[in-house]
Amino acid sequence: MSIIELNNVSFDYQSGEDLSRGVKNINLKIEKGKFIVLLGHNGSGKSTLAKLLNGFLIPDEGDVIVNGIHTKDTKRIYDIRAKVGMVFQNPDNQMVASIIEDDLAFGPENLGVPREEIQKRVDWALEAVNMNEYRYGTPYKLSGGQKQRIAIAAILAMLPEILILDESTAMLDPKGRAEVMETAKRLNRDNNMTVILITHYMDEAIDADEVIVLNDGEIAIQGTPKEVFRETEIIKEAGLELPVSTQVALLLQKAGHPVPLVLHDEELVEAVCRLK
Amino acid sequence: MNRDITFGQYYPADSFVHKMDPRVKLILVVAFIVAVFLVKSLFSYIAITIFVIVGILGSHVPIKSILKSVRGIIFVVLLTAILNVFFYSGGERVLVHWWKITITVESLLFALRMALRLIFLVLGTTLLTLTTTPMNLTDGMESLMAPLKLIRFPIHDVAIIMSIALRFIPILMEEVNKIMLAQKARGADFESGGLMKRARALLPVLIPLFVSAFRRADELALALDARCYNATPHRTKYKVLKLGWRDAAGAFYSALLIFAVVAINASFWGLFGFSLSV
Ligand SMILES: Nc1ncnc2c1ncn2[C@@H]1O[C@H](COP(=O)(O)OP(=O)(O)O)[C@@H](O)[C@H]1O
Ligand SMILES: [Mg+2]
Repeated sequence: MSIIELNNVSFDYQSGEDLSRGVKNINLKIEKGKFIVLLGHNGSGKSTLAKLLNGFLIPDEGDVIVNGIHTKDTKRIYDIRAKVGMVFQNPDNQMVASIIEDDLAFGPENLGVPREEIQKRVDWALEAVNMNEYRYGTPYKLSGGQKQRIAIAAILAMLPEILILDESTAMLDPKGRAEVMETAKRLNRDNNMTVILITHYMDEAIDADEVIVLNDGEIAIQGTPKEVFRETEIIKEAGLELPVSTQVALLLQKAGHPVPLVLHDEELVEAVCRLK
Repeated sequence: MNRDITFGQYYPADSFVHKMDPRVKLILVVAFIVAVFLVKSLFSYIAITIFVIVGILGSHVPIKSILKSVRGIIFVVLLTAILNVFFYSGGERVLVHWWKITITVESLLFALRMALRLIFLVLGTTLLTLTTTPMNLTDGMESLMAPLKLIRFPIHDVAIIMSIALRFIPILMEEVNKIMLAQKARGADFESGGLMKRARALLPVLIPLFVSAFRRADELALALDARCYNATPHRTKYKVLKLGWRDAAGAFYSALLIFAVVAINASFWGLFGFSLSV
């Protein structure tokens, strides 16, 4: 059974008379333990889709079913929220306490988790993002990547089954981005965490199990990275930019060289070395 | 610099006073303030001075940091003292009489007493903030306000508001700095001109600050929901405050002080300080 299921989901934002398209006709099944990357340009509906998954938004049409629970079921909304953890863009705006362990405890406290259990969860969550030594510190001196890892740990302390990172790498420097990506991949690999990573950087999608491209609120294409990256027209139309190595490979193909479609830089190097 | 703002005046040390429960410290400071208003005679002033000195010694905070706080109010103290000298009515032993102004021994002593009271108040509260982190103080206040739950006062929400405020003060301060630098780079001038001109120069700082604060608030609201804020009325608490022997000792010691002050005031010892009592 899929951990998340969306059947024909549509959602529009209504402000007064005006309607603005959020997402339209989304059909999606997300399997447990998968690493999913959701791609799309600004305003393509990525955040709207994410907010539909944890019940921040309720679909106008269609159903969102998480772990067998309907997001329309308002009585169980917090069961869903605790299961579908969401991390946002700016780590500074997600921390509520000035001491890191207090911040991590906030989620479990809200859920009424007993004290001893919170202690264990804080230990585990800090370990999971490799930030143990900062437990009693404040967030102010941390780098962007470290802060975002704390924000992830704060969500992990609620023991979610699905982790949604909504452009959580967008405002970080390359080092911070790499740290967050590495953390997300490790959680997926070692803890069997289902990860939905939202981004507009295509190079963050190359190791995904599945890539979904949104354009104007609709799914433009969906599949493995190789399947998706090959569709250059659709990618272009969706306002995205292929990773440099893929672009180079495509240019080489155009020039008549027998180079396969590559995603990683190393693959490109290998393919080019094999040319002669 | 950020650390300084987050921790306010907090002076990190591993002392007796630092280790006391913030709730006890809060109560003791209130009791101390009451005691300061009760003191009348020379001997009760001595008792309170001893109390403060013992408190400072027990906190391992260097005397310099403590005096810094007194320096901040020295102007207010002097001003009230001068006003008190001139406007004190009554008193027999006249020292100076000139035009409408009369300075008596009693008015001088009165002014001195008021000045000492102010200084004691500042010393007591400073000792609290020097030895307790703002986070601990908030926890302490939350715990002390617990009875208000009975009248459905949302203490928990108030505690979260305080915690978030503490968390965002340094962030917004930093933002103000950034915006000011950016405006200065565009030729803004915050230093010259009269009060009105300078106030107006701040407008281009305040507007972006507010815009950014609201944007932050938007994301923070989502983050609070994502962390299941308000999921259950049976919220648990990770940090629990625990009373220890230090708290008992501190409370006992303070009770002794208040007892001494009241007793001295009421006894003939109080009369003994004839020239100093009201
Ligand atoms: N709160 C809102 N009110 C009205 N329209 C909104 C709101 N949030 C998003 N939209 C609109 O919905 C569309 C999708 O936005 P969003 O899901 O935030 O895109 P993305 O996260 O991919 O940048 C955009 O056209 C945006 O203008
Ligand atoms: Mg978005």
